[in-house]
Amino acid sequence: MAPAPALENGEREYSEDGVDLTLIRWMLTLTPAQRLQVLQNNANSVLRLRARLQPGA
Amino acid sequence: MLNFEAILEVLARHRVDFVLVGGVAAVLHGVPGTTFDLDIVQSRDPANIDRLLSALRELDAIYRIQPSRRLVPNASHLTSGGHNLLLTKFGPLDVLGTIGHGHAWNELIEHCNSLPLDNGLTIAVLNLPMQITVKEEVAGEKDNIMLPLLRRTLEETNRQS
Repeated sequence: MAPAPALENGEREYSEDGVDLTLIRWMLTLTPAQRLQVLQNNANSVLRLRARLQPGA
Repeated sequence: MLNFEAILEVLARHRVDFVLVGGVAAVLHGVPGTTFDLDIVQSRDPANIDRLLSALRELDAIYRIQPSRRLVPNASHLTSGGHNLLLTKFGPLDVLGTIGHGHAWNELIEHCNSLPLDNGLTIAVLNLPMQITVKEEVAGEKDNIMLPLLRRTLEETNRQS
């Protein structure tokens, strides 16, 4: 497997407490309206998946 | 299915004074988290409570605790500082009289950013420093999980600005 590309300016992928900083940076490139859309799509995806689970799963 | 935008649109159309808090507020500031309800702190001014009640009627809001009884909130419930955990036709909505150590709308509105959405709405969203303060005050398990995400997003936002 190829190594992850080196980050510019010494930027890290994770903070010391384990937070994925790349996701934060990606979210900050979006407008508030786009962030709300991401949230809504995520939540609805989880709800759709849960609805498809077999009973007792 | 959830439709947070639709709830916000109804609240705005009824000119309800509120501050958006909780998970949706965090995401609007760039926190990569998820949530299944919309949390607001309402102004408890009597005229605002009337407008909020109109909005909640349009949203078919009932208390989540016993949905089969279809208990609806009234002015007395919404004027108290308590938490009203509601279910609307667009998803769960928590109407919170206060958060943290008793922070009410008239205090929280001083710690908000006005964030525009692309449907023309502008929402008063609790800023990240105050969200962190509130989570630190409550310090429940769920709050402690969110705190690193909030702190690192604030750091990254400050670094980029």
